Amino acid sequence: MKWIKVYQKLIVVSFSMVFTGILAGTVNADVAGGQKIFEAKECGACHLTKGPNQDKTIEDKLKRKGPDLWFAGSKFKKEWLVKWLQDPKSIRQMAYNSIEKKNPGDHSKLSDKEASDVTDYLMTLTSIDVVSGTIQAKKDLMGKMVFEKKQGCYGCHLSMRGAKVAGGLTGPSLVDAGKRLQGDWIYAYLKNPQAIIPVKRMPTYAGVLNDSEMKSVAAYVASF
Amino acid sequence: MKKGIILTVIFLILTIWFIHQRETFGASPVENYKWYCAQCHGLNGKGDGPNATKEQPVTPRDHTDTKGMSKLTDADIENVIRDGGNATGKSTMMPPWGKTMTDAEIKDLVKYLRQLCKC
Ligand code: HEC
Ligand code: HEC
Ligand code: HEC
Repeated sequence: MKWIKVYQKLIVVSFSMVFTGILAGTVNADVAGGQKIFEAKECGACHLTKGPNQDKTIEDKLKRKGPDLWFAGSKFKKEWLVKWLQDPKSIRQMAYNSIEKKNPGDHSKLSDKEASDVTDYLMTLTSIDVVSGTIQAKKDLMGKMVFEKKQGCYGCHLSMRGAKVAGGLTGPSLVDAGKRLQGDWIYAYLKNPQAIIPVKRMPTYAGVLNDSEMKSVAAYVASF
Repeated sequence: MKKGIILTVIFLILTIWFIHQRETFGASPVENYKWYCAQCHGLNGKGDGPNATKEQPVTPRDHTDTKGMSKLTDADIENVIRDGGNATGKSTMMPPWGKTMTDAEIKDLVKYLRQLCKC
């Protein structure tokens, strides 16, 4: 009797080990496959995947051809990312780093299989400065006040003003920010831009807004 | 031989000093203006950057307007760049740059604005 029980347990354990092995194998296969596609398509020619970003000067930033992806897994919602890679609608109104040329809207497209593998890969790229579980998306009144009155965030960002899309054009559109961005990333970016995007056309608000204002406006933007 | 070594050392010290200066002095006012200010105030300072869309509640100040700009003192300009529109009772659509640029960079921008407005 005793031996049979031990034997049963052994079988269960070895089965589950094999099973998790297979599972881990397939997950890694997607991630590795995604990374291969990313490399084969030379996405890295325009996107940084090893952070943190070391830029110090405007000149350094102007050499970049696309936004950083080294924190993609902390920044994007997975469901948004996999869709966008197949149908990349413009996020920025202006061409990258330009305030003169319009965004040509010609970003390379991926097939559904490629997009799903690349998404699995990109979602593994995270930043330790983004703490998950801090920000809950919320139509926060203080956040709205900061966004519209205390600061003019829409001065450089498109957003919904009533039923209309309006605002400035040099920042990424925030119209669908809630579908695209994780609130925790927004908060981390406001609180410590040096660690996320060190050189940017957006003002540094840490020290201008207090911590609860930054949390509120992050929650508010995440609710768009 | 000795002379050569001394000259090399002096040259090295000067190089290090020069690199250090560049880092602590930050960007030139023209570079900063084009990067930060022109998105609203325009590359030539006429208040016509890409963010000055029709729907915005206020238009960015025309920095080439001699009459209007001469009403502002250097301290006014410095304060409004550092703390935003609030500082001079203007719209918060003019953002605060005090945590983005160094004091030296902001003071250089004040001088640059005086060139733009010829005032
Ligand atoms: C020629 C340069 C270039 C190449 C090559 C390129 N991208 Fe991009 N990518 C850009 C630019 C510019 C944007 C900004 C587009 C926008 O705002 O509409 C962008 C945006 C993105 C974004 C959204 C990032 C954000 O912060 O908004 C993702 C994700 C992305 N690219 C993934 C990829 C992948 C995957 C590949 C390879 C298949 C790739 N890119 C190849 C230039 C490039
Ligand atoms: C002077 C123009 C300007 C103002 C004012 C401004 N931003 Fe930005 N913002 C930008 C630019 C430019 C970027 C892109 C930074 C980069 O990637 O280099 C950005 C990026 C962002 C992003 C990330 C979007 C993405 O998809 O990558 C968020 C979120 C954001 N801003 C929120 C805010 C909030 C909240 C405020 C007000 C407290 C604000 N911004 C005020 C210009 C501005
Ligand atoms: C998001 C857009 C935006 C950006 C970026 C911006 N400004 Fe402004 N600025 C404005 C607006 C709008 C006004 C007009 C405010 C008003 O009339 O109430 C203004 C007004 C001013 C004024 C006049 C203030 C007064 O009391 O009349 C000065 C000086 C100024 N800006 C300097 C700068 C400098 C220097 C920079 C770059 C570091 C800069 N601005 C960046 C939007 C902007």
